[in-house]
Amino acid sequence: MQLQSSSYKLNNQATATTTPVETVQNWLIKQLAEQLRLDPASIKLTEPFTRYGLDSIDAVTLVGDLEDWLDLDLPDTLFWDHPTVEKSAKYLEENYDLADAVSNIESEETVTETPINETQDNNNDKKGWGNLFGRFK
Amino acid sequence: MHQLKQYWVAERLDKDLGDPWTPENVMSFKQVVEIDEKEEFPHSEIEWLYNWKLQHYYVPAECGGEFTSFEEFLAFVRVLCRRDQTIGIAFTTLFWSFITWMAGTEEQKQQLAQYIKNENGAMCLGYSEREHGSDLVGGDLTAQKVPGGYILNGEKWPINRATISGISYILAKTDPEGGPKCLTLFMVDKRQLNPDNYYNLPKILTHGIRASDMSGIGFKDCFVPDSMRIKEEGDGLEFALKGFQVTRTFCAAFSLGAADTALRTTLNFAIKRVVYGKKVIDIPQPRKVLVDAFLDILICDCETIGAARGFHIIPEQFSVWASVTKYFVTTQIETMINSVYTVLGSRFYMREEHDWGIFQKVLRDNSIISMFDGSTVVNLHALMLQFRQLTKQRSRRKPEAIADLQKRLEAIFSLEQPLPSFNGEKLELFGRGADDPLQGLEIALQQLEAFKETTDTDEEVLEKLIVLGNLVLEELNAHDELIANSKFEYGHDQSPELFEVAKTYCTLHAAACCLQMWLYNRTILGDFFAQGEWLVLSLHRLLRTMRPLPYSISDVYVENTAQELLKLYKEDKLFSIVPFQLAHSPINEDRSYATSKLQLQA
Ligand SMILES: Cc1cc2nc3c(=O)[nH]c(=O)nc-3n(C[C@H](O)[C@H](O)[C@H](O)COP(=O)(O)OP(=O)(O)OC[C@H]3O[C@@H](n4cnc5c(N)ncnc54)[C@H](O)[C@@H]3O)c2cc1C
Repeated sequence: MQLQSSSYKLNNQATATTTPVETVQNWLIKQLAEQLRLDPASIKLTEPFTRYGLDSIDAVTLVGDLEDWLDLDLPDTLFWDHPTVEKSAKYLEENYDLADAVSNIESEETVTETPINETQDNNNDKKGWGNLFGRFK
Repeated sequence: MHQLKQYWVAERLDKDLGDPWTPENVMSFKQVVEIDEKEEFPHSEIEWLYNWKLQHYYVPAECGGEFTSFEEFLAFVRVLCRRDQTIGIAFTTLFWSFITWMAGTEEQKQQLAQYIKNENGAMCLGYSEREHGSDLVGGDLTAQKVPGGYILNGEKWPINRATISGISYILAKTDPEGGPKCLTLFMVDKRQLNPDNYYNLPKILTHGIRASDMSGIGFKDCFVPDSMRIKEEGDGLEFALKGFQVTRTFCAAFSLGAADTALRTTLNFAIKRVVYGKKVIDIPQPRKVLVDAFLDILICDCETIGAARGFHIIPEQFSVWASVTKYFVTTQIETMINSVYTVLGSRFYMREEHDWGIFQKVLRDNSIISMFDGSTVVNLHALMLQFRQLTKQRSRRKPEAIADLQKRLEAIFSLEQPLPSFNGEKLELFGRGADDPLQGLEIALQQLEAFKETTDTDEEVLEKLIVLGNLVLEELNAHDELIANSKFEYGHDQSPELFEVAKTYCTLHAAACCLQMWLYNRTILGDFFAQGEWLVLSLHRLLRTMRPLPYSISDVYVENTAQELLKLYKEDKLFSIVPFQLAHSPINEDRSYATSKLQLQA
């Protein structure tokens, strides 16, 4: 499971035209699809998260993942208060500098990552989300 | 009086209640066992506590009460529960008022403070439903919006003090569509309701806490005004979960009170009972069991007192710390009580024979603590959902952050430092990966290393602490590696193994708290605490659950700990890292089990 792969794009969307809001929407759709084992194409922007089986507490955990990805401090009830892909992305656009956050992710991901210590070095080439560690220093 | 002021209220309360072994005293063991047998709510005992004005300590100072710190609170709930958990729990439903102190309007706070302080008011928490248990969002009790208020329909069950309380915190569904915002919390003041529209459910017969008002409450087209709503519509789950962070942590106080009595009444037996020409306490195996029980209390003390103080410094981390404390302390004490009964022998099972049968009652009463207010699995589950964040956060610590962490650790664990007042608005639903006691483990190990030059701590003790401390770190690193390399699952289908991993995390957390507590209090908690032998034994005890280690680490330390236990027993002091004075007991001089008639022949 890879959390930070922003290179993911919905089906045929062209990279050049992806706005920060769309990038966030795509990330959310990818998360939901992976976590809940759904076809990304079946996830609608306007349908509440819980409709897809996302538990209340999972919606809080997901905020943590989004914080990590965007490197922003977000309210813990973000997905409770803005319970669709569209609404939460819109909320982020209105309240944060999304363009900046998204561009940081993209540039950071191209930088060669130096691991913090040996334990985490090992993590980098293992399965799972261990490769996340390289990004956070 | 103890030199630490935060223990004075507990000391005074215990002294005024008097020795529980003296039958005439209020809440003596004889009396509380009789109350339990009758299964009738202890009205006059609760009344005694109100007259003592204990209720004022449940109302924060800024709302006109006497509550100033959770550390003080923990200590007095503990002495109350060492006499009787049933009364302790019945009285401490007052603690649900924290929902209002945290999220209520000024008016709601004033009203509640007045009700508690001047009208001997009590409250209950109505979250669970017969059909839904832990699944709060699945609840069926509805609140339908009408002009000026809501119409409630449905039942809450099983609820402690549902019948004998004036205020019920009711979690109701305001959005039939479900979802995390479907619940709204109400502070329902029964006195303002039309009595035709609500009813109490019959008393539930239970295994323990038999004299409790275990019942339920039902609503039938019951109007409640908007003024009874806590915060906004849809905020119910958020404040329910935040309120749990406070109350779950303090379930540990119930357990610690029971632990004191279980151990004291067993000592009371072991010190007098003679078999094979020897006192039980002088037979090596039972002696070790009792020492281990004492260590369990000290370990749980470090975890719980740390948490109580931590609330004032790092409330934002309590989605993690509350789960750890609620799981670890309640289950550790349950196991401890089950171990000491092997020393008490057949009398553990008898309802009159030894100390009026208090042990069997403690055993029964205490077994609910790990279940209610978020069961063991619910707490472990809440914790494991945060594992990835915890692991990442630990790997990301930067030097500046570590300096801040060290300052916070000192503020939390140094019992002499004054605490800022608790700010419930800072509670968070998830901790963003922060967990100071464990993430400060390396700092603690550095401090230990530095002690080689600077303190007069016994060299051998220090050596052992460093070795054991490093094993804790190794286990923590192994935990992080495991989590980093495992696949994360959302939801409730977590693997059974992960529950075991979560238990280990809690054990490591307790080990870290023990180390931190010792580091910051060596000069103020007396010689036994300072010498650190108990800490060596405690770390060894915790680590043995997760890796093969020699059975014993030092017979001398065990013996010195046994001596301390006996000293506290003889002096009627609490079994604790802060062994404050309890009411004096004549029990230490009288009765003996050494009569030949009672003895079994070998
Ligand atoms: C004496 C007593 C006093 C109580 N007082 C109150 C009170 O004052 N107020 C109140 O609201 N409630 C109270 N309760 C209710 C208590 O909180 C519930 O009983 C508790 O929430 C568990 O619910 P349940 O037993 O229905 O179990 P369920 O929620 O039905 O769960 C059944 C089983 O499923 C498993 N399970 C559940 N959740 C998980 C999970 N997340 N992960 C893995 N497995 C899981 C567990 O094995 C669990 O035992 C009280 C109960 C008792 C017995």
